[in-house]
Amino acid sequence: MRSPGSVRRLGFIAAFALVYALVTAFAENSYYQLILTVVPVWAVMGLAWNLFSGYSGLVSFGHAAFFGLGAYFVALAQIEWNLSPWLGIPCAGIVGGLAGLIIGLPTFRLRGHYFALAMLAYPLALLYVFEWLGYQELALPMVREHAARYMQFADHRLYAWIALALAVATMLVADRIERSRFGKSLVAIKQDEAAAEAAGIRTLEWKLRAIVLSGAVAGIAGGFYAVVLLVVTPAAVFGMLVSAQALIVTMFGGVGTLWGPVLGAVVLVPLSELLQANLGNVVPGIQGVVYGIAIIAVILLAPEGVFWKFKDILDRRRAPAAHADIVTSAGTPQTDQRPPRPEPGPTLLDVRHVSKSFGGLQAIRDVSLQVRSGEILGIIGPNGAGKTTLFNLLNGFIRPDSGSILLDGREVSGRRPYALCASGIGRTFQVVKPFRRMTVLDNVIVGAYVRARSDEEAQTLAMTALEAVGLQHAIGKLAGVLTNRELRLLELARALAGNPRILLLDETLAGLGATEVEDVTQVVRRLADRGITIVIIEHTMQAMVRLVDRFVVLDGGAVLTDGTPAEVTRDPAVVDAYLGKRWRTASA
Amino acid sequence: MLEITGLCAGYGGLPVLRDVHLRVAEGEFVAIVGPNGAGKTTLFKTISGIVRPSGGQIRFDDADLLAVPPAARAHRGIAHVPEGRQVFPSLTVFENLEMGAYSAHARARWRESLDRIFAWFPVLAQRTRSLAGALSGGQQQMLAIARGLASAPRLLMLDEPSMGLAPAVADEIFERILAIHSDAGVTVLLVEQRVAEALHFADRGYVIEAGRIVLEGTPEALNSDDRVRQAYLGM
Amino acid sequence: MEFDLPLFVENLLQSLVAGLLTGALYGLMCVGLSLIFGVMRVINFAQGDFMMLGMYAAYYAFGLLGAHALLGEAADPYLAALLAGPAVFVAGVAVHRFLVSRVTGMRGAALESEGHYAQLILTLGIALVLQNGGLFVFGSAPVSISTPLSSSAWDIGPLYGDMVEIFVNQGQTYAAIIAVVVVIAFVLLMGRSRLGKSLRAAADNPEAAVYMGIDVERAHRLAFGFGCAITAIGGGLLASGSPFQPYVGLEYVIIMYAGVVLGGLGSVSGAFFGGLTIGLVQQLSTLFLPIQLQNTAIFVVFLAIVLLRPQGLFGASLRRA
Repeated sequence: MRSPGSVRRLGFIAAFALVYALVTAFAENSYYQLILTVVPVWAVMGLAWNLFSGYSGLVSFGHAAFFGLGAYFVALAQIEWNLSPWLGIPCAGIVGGLAGLIIGLPTFRLRGHYFALAMLAYPLALLYVFEWLGYQELALPMVREHAARYMQFADHRLYAWIALALAVATMLVADRIERSRFGKSLVAIKQDEAAAEAAGIRTLEWKLRAIVLSGAVAGIAGGFYAVVLLVVTPAAVFGMLVSAQALIVTMFGGVGTLWGPVLGAVVLVPLSELLQANLGNVVPGIQGVVYGIAIIAVILLAPEGVFWKFKDILDRRRAPAAHADIVTSAGTPQTDQRPPRPEPGPTLLDVRHVSKSFGGLQAIRDVSLQVRSGEILGIIGPNGAGKTTLFNLLNGFIRPDSGSILLDGREVSGRRPYALCASGIGRTFQVVKPFRRMTVLDNVIVGAYVRARSDEEAQTLAMTALEAVGLQHAIGKLAGVLTNRELRLLELARALAGNPRILLLDETLAGLGATEVEDVTQVVRRLADRGITIVIIEHTMQAMVRLVDRFVVLDGGAVLTDGTPAEVTRDPAVVDAYLGKRWRTASA
Repeated sequence: MLEITGLCAGYGGLPVLRDVHLRVAEGEFVAIVGPNGAGKTTLFKTISGIVRPSGGQIRFDDADLLAVPPAARAHRGIAHVPEGRQVFPSLTVFENLEMGAYSAHARARWRESLDRIFAWFPVLAQRTRSLAGALSGGQQQMLAIARGLASAPRLLMLDEPSMGLAPAVADEIFERILAIHSDAGVTVLLVEQRVAEALHFADRGYVIEAGRIVLEGTPEALNSDDRVRQAYLGM
Repeated sequence: MEFDLPLFVENLLQSLVAGLLTGALYGLMCVGLSLIFGVMRVINFAQGDFMMLGMYAAYYAFGLLGAHALLGEAADPYLAALLAGPAVFVAGVAVHRFLVSRVTGMRGAALESEGHYAQLILTLGIALVLQNGGLFVFGSAPVSISTPLSSSAWDIGPLYGDMVEIFVNQGQTYAAIIAVVVVIAFVLLMGRSRLGKSLRAAADNPEAAVYMGIDVERAHRLAFGFGCAITAIGGGLLASGSPFQPYVGLEYVIIMYAGVVLGGLGSVSGAFFGGLTIGLVQQLSTLFLPIQLQNTAIFVVFLAIVLLRPQGLFGASLRRA
């Protein structure tokens, strides 16, 4: 598929490569040639870091581990087995990928800062191991004859061109990933791992793929770096500055875009190298200080990096000041008359005597309820009644302590969320977390992957879902600029794109004004009319009484009662739970 | 004593309070009731300064309260007992009370406040050295109220003191609040979801719905108004 | 090769003593980090570099003291280490005021993943500036504070029928005693004083602390300063034993986080025992592993802790309400 967009993107990469290659051709001074070689190396390292950390959001302080292993592999392979770097460098990629797998498997059990610190420990541990092994300083042997066969060139511009080729290849890979299921799944994980899992994404699998690929690219970068410098020392390849530099060029340039690391490397690497060369004697450590200040400034001034900052400024200038929130729904006037609803079908979801406690607190006690095919079931109850906990049980975020949950008569309790999503349970969340930097369409495509076999099919499913909720006019907008009503509809569409049979809606009406509530309610009703079974949580009953076919009332983690809206609102026990038990005596 | 006019507030561009007007006279017991999500807690947080309003005025003792930094508002005699208790779990019961009496004004009246607190909540006197995190829900609620009282406040703001408590425990809490109001003459502003209980004790009530005050009046008037029921149950 | 039991016992006891003495210093440093990371939940990647600042502060204070021979040659290094505390306190407060406070507390809560991401990256930047700036200011050549005590030892033994003899380094022993005293004083400050209680309250629940009238911003700033200062005193005490250079902090970052996590987040005294344990692990590992790998052993222990028991070994940390 060659869309005009992809031609333009590839054009940019080609133009960059051409300009860089030409500049290199005119570099006579060997010192400048070295800088021109190192810039793409760090761009590749940044791209490697970005492939994993930038897209998945798991901060790695340890990419030096992959880099260092790659460098030592190439050096040792040439010394011990006389293996040419032409072969050694690709093998270094395999070493880096394997290291990614070995490191990723245990470390993905950790979250956030623990993950970052654990990743820091790997290269430091390796550093001491390589020192202990006696590899304090490993020099690549010079080969007089067939020098080119061992990647030893008299003309140092060749190194710069090879480095550039590596960088361009990595950019193409990154570009490919950014547009594919791979990249979008990673971004979904970064935004909200739980939501991603609920949307059917196998999070562990994608994270492993990302760290393996990222480790392989970093290993290749390290292997090539060894050839360029001819000497490998533990501090130079496993040191903190290696990991930090990969992270910093990316953070500076822009996280989550392939131009970020490139931009960061092109600006920061020559700057720090030139300062080091000119002032290094007077001000030792100036390189680290430059990187440190760059990263402090970025995090305080442009936390997503220079690329996004400029893009935002440009977008703001280009875009008209305000946009109207176009209401495209049917807009039928509000009536108290409930439209006729079909009789519900057989039981689809059967919850039997489910209990769950956290610590000493029993959040759900012995809850039994049936969801019948095609109905709109409202689950209501005061704050802390256990409504969201019940949803978390239904879509597999937590396991029940006892009891069973049957879907189509088959036990599903204890299955992972992505598996439940694949078998037809979709859900939305109380707090809407769209992928802000992605367009409306891309946001919904992420939800379609659980059904789609190809990216094209995912796009078709997403378009259908967006039309169903009435957001088709907004597909190109960034999710970050949507109104509250549009965000709720976006969430609905994302859950819808996976073709669920049951849709669990968690406070879809929260925070909406009266007309917006009516609007979203209409959409939900339309979905139900298409045969999707709906289970919806709300703690206010206002809009719900006109929407649902049946209520289940929870109080204190147990089912208080169930019935039609008319029955439930007249039930004395419900009145007590909502208005307090003095209500009836006082108003009687 | 407290006068709120035209108050608007929200989170990240999402409006929660829309043009709220409200006043509390010295010595009054005023209840604000309304369903969940109506904006009751946001109203309290705006008074305490955690949420910055987008418009309107709050005056306390005829001074502009919005000009006072949040942490300094407690020193003016406003005690906010937050929703969900929010005691300091790793501090002991006694230390929690000491933190309540953080202002100089409160420390000057510390002994007196402490005697009264232990008279109202004898169970706390027995557990001064327990960690607050280890108390039961009802005891934590008592501690949260007692911590507010330790500041020797003139206005006591209580946010859903019955939340998550068994009905019998909630009743006990409500009765203590009434005793505190009548014994000490503290002005009380109570936010509650359980409308019947709240109105039973209050001098005056407001009904808040979707960020607006929709009704105001005596408990009797509100109790017999069908709109209250509608606000909660939708029909 | 035959197993020589008396030799093994001697090495074991010698490592235990060394482990306890270094462990006490690690414990002190962990107490500093636990205030920042364990209690306030702020991630400070530059903690090791504040320790490094403490070492150099002690080094220069020692130089000044030496000129006046204030307490005599033997006691001056310890006085210098204690003086490093207030010096680094000022640095910590300034760093918090101008940098860290922008991504923590209420402002951090508004950021992605409660600001932890920004804190990691920001403090990484601070660490790089301190390390490499240190290179310029302090020079790259390793320095150390020499004291007559650091080369003298008590001789315990001979025990076990003449075959076992242990040496206890005097300088390290005094340093360990001072570390324990500082920890106790600090635990008392946090536990008993109004300041300490307000810091704990502000960490427990910043919002409720505002309702009490506590200036939370200031409380967090002070806590950050104290955390850096305590770690700096630990660094200052360590400085009289071994040579150091501006990059020394990095290894200690892992040591400190390992100790704090081991001790249970949120527990200041737990952090001390966590650090003590790490010291013991480090020294005992030399019985089985080459000495170059003693830090690798710590990293492995750190990974094992965070993977297997992230809630820590000592005392359950309180669940936040």
